[in-house]
Amino acid sequence: MQQQPPVSTDKGPLPSLEELLADVKPGETVLEMRGVTKRFADVVANDRIDFDLRAGEIHAVLGENGAGKTTLMNILFRLLHPDEGEIYIRGHRVHLRSPVDAINLGIGMVHQHRKLVAAHTVIENIVLGHPKAGRVLNLKRAEEEVKALSERYGFKVDLRARVWQLSEGEKQAVEILKALYRGARILILDEPTTALTPLETERLLESMVNMARQGLAVVPFITHKLPMVLAVSDRVTVLRGGQVVAQLNTRDADEQLLARLMVGREVLFDIQRPQVEPGPIVLQVEHLSALNDKGVPALENVSFSIRQGEILGIAGVSGNGQRELAEVLAGMRPARNGRIRFDGRDITHAPIRERWRLGIGYIPAERTEVGSIGDFTLVENVLLNFYFDDELVKRGVLDYRRARELTRHLIDEYGIAAPGEDARGRQLSGGNLQKVILARVLARHPRLLLAALPTQGLDIGATEFVRKKILEAKTQGSAVLLISEDLDEVLMLSDRIAAIYEGRIMGIVPAEKARREQIGAMIAGISEEASS
Amino acid sequence: MWQFLARSLEAAAIFTFAGLGELVDQRGGILNVGIEGVMLFGATLGFIAAQNSNSYLVGLVAALLIGLLLGLLHGFFSITLGVDQVVSGMGIWIAGLGLTTYIGNPYTGPLGMERIQTIGGLSPFFYLGVVLVVALWFLLFKTSLGLKIRSVGENPSVAEVSGISVTAIRYGCVAFGGMMAGFAGAVYSLYYNPVWNYNFLMGWGFIALALVFFSMWNPIILQAGALLFGILWQLSLNPQLVLPGLLSRYVWRMVPFAITLLVLILISTRWFRTRWGAAKPEALGRPYLKE
Repeated sequence: MQQQPPVSTDKGPLPSLEELLADVKPGETVLEMRGVTKRFADVVANDRIDFDLRAGEIHAVLGENGAGKTTLMNILFRLLHPDEGEIYIRGHRVHLRSPVDAINLGIGMVHQHRKLVAAHTVIENIVLGHPKAGRVLNLKRAEEEVKALSERYGFKVDLRARVWQLSEGEKQAVEILKALYRGARILILDEPTTALTPLETERLLESMVNMARQGLAVVPFITHKLPMVLAVSDRVTVLRGGQVVAQLNTRDADEQLLARLMVGREVLFDIQRPQVEPGPIVLQVEHLSALNDKGVPALENVSFSIRQGEILGIAGVSGNGQRELAEVLAGMRPARNGRIRFDGRDITHAPIRERWRLGIGYIPAERTEVGSIGDFTLVENVLLNFYFDDELVKRGVLDYRRARELTRHLIDEYGIAAPGEDARGRQLSGGNLQKVILARVLARHPRLLLAALPTQGLDIGATEFVRKKILEAKTQGSAVLLISEDLDEVLMLSDRIAAIYEGRIMGIVPAEKARREQIGAMIAGISEEASS
Repeated sequence: MWQFLARSLEAAAIFTFAGLGELVDQRGGILNVGIEGVMLFGATLGFIAAQNSNSYLVGLVAALLIGLLLGLLHGFFSITLGVDQVVSGMGIWIAGLGLTTYIGNPYTGPLGMERIQTIGGLSPFFYLGVVLVVALWFLLFKTSLGLKIRSVGENPSVAEVSGISVTAIRYGCVAFGGMMAGFAGAVYSLYYNPVWNYNFLMGWGFIALALVFFSMWNPIILQAGALLFGILWQLSLNPQLVLPGLLSRYVWRMVPFAITLLVLILISTRWFRTRWGAAKPEALGRPYLKE
């Protein structure tokens, strides 16, 4: 292992981390960012941002997608170089050259998309790149050290397990441990609760408080999980449009205030669920089983039905068979066993296009990979759901004039922010692209709407819009299957809630009787009978 | 019979060298389908250098150098330029086939040097192969460097944020892979069959490549596979030694390739694919380019 040259400051090389932070008292400012500005082409992602961190605090950074919080944190971790601005650690101005410099200074970052080698063991992941690892790995000694760390902060992970065997919560714990093992004193967490079950979230929050108590500065940055911010943070910095709009003590804030600061207008948290008299059964699924891409059973003996004017929500943590369920119903994945009936007709083996013709509309979870083609114009993207309709195709020739009219109409109706109907799919933001996909599906007035993770990764405004449209589809007589990893969303929109765990439906509960804790336990694998 | 076995082990050593190089390449995420070409270069230039200098050492060093050069060339295309690794590898193979035919043609014929001394009836190359297998197994699975190589092959962006230079590790891997392939070629043309002829390797490089896939990227299994193919190959050359009178030798010569096809069918089964998929370096063949 070669010795890294020390990080330079305006006063010569920076003293070692231990020296630097030796006498830090809780509440003392350890890190400061002053006037940080970052531009991407003609967009200002960070506009003269001032930000500071104190020892022993949990400092939430709040903002919508595109508000600039990821950019700011990436600058702090030196994944990005700021155009202007300075970073000070305990008053020393530092010039970071790479993430390695940041790590050596005690800054650790846990990314939203896991930065772990799935095929390796936990301990191998933790020691990877560690200067103390030595030439010949001494995993025993490392294991002991990491065990001590996990006990201190309350993490539970099997160090010999392979990462792909772990749950999302455990993987996150591994990343945090890795950062701590590298000597992190400032820990940046990117949307830390996104993929976690309610139980795992609780445990994470406990560990965060634990870490802060012991002198670490913890920075979760978050889109819209306001309850979480309020639960654990000491201070909040709210970003909007690349600028700091507020920095306040959490005890002076409430949900409404933070939401208003973040979005810039009042936000409705409670959407009224319209009551619709359910009609006949539209979709009947009986004993459905399917395999995932690796050939392992992903769905086992799944049965449910959805009526006209009803939303059935599938609640579950990522990777429990939701994706396979949506694909089997849409016709993209063969069913191994069981039967799918649509309006009484067996469509288990019906081809995809026939399902569209019969009135099934599918909003795939992967909006840029499966939902749209980035290099196609919006007209062409809309046509992807219409190219087989007599209305828009005459003897095999597409009627571009009418397709263009339709697209323009949809852009107006859904308020899609696009340069025009000839804009390419990839020019649109995630929210607007999702609106296009939603619009073209709903324009077919589907009898059955399959919505897989329809609001994932969208900001508050777009989320609100998509939810409203799904409810509107229901009142107009669609049967809706809503698959979501956001438990609150499922509870908010669904008439009945099915909890899925490892490919099985753990139970179906009517919305009036559903309790958050109960569904939370069910998606963690605790059966309904046991929990009630 | 001993003669037959000894020749099989010598053949196995050649598969082992080429395979080990490719295995390290692939553990680091780089696929070099052109090792046949690198072997041809190593064999031909090693042959020429040895014959001209009347020294095996000079021949082997020449083979190592040309292997290193070609490995780095493949690295330049696949790491720095980020082009399709299969295309780059195929290019190296075709260049190897054409150029070595052109360069080597005047040297057609036997090497005409004293045979390399054997130890216990086997060449030093066989023992070197076994030592390398163990050493590389230790390196890959027990050392820090090995962990870095495997991480770069599994998930380069993870390696990068852990402070590892993906480019440096990958260049190291292709350099090693190229040297091993060049060396394997020279062992063939200087010891195993010291006669230069047009396209004398006849697909050994491709068999070594296939062996790496069958080995699930584990040097120990690779060694076992190399032994199996060494025996099969020898069997195809002199079937009369073991099974006199049974089938023509042209049928036997086909056997290693037929077995390759069989193994391919085997590894396409669901049972195998899940295990194999877990062992396969996830970033294999994918260039790592930062935006």
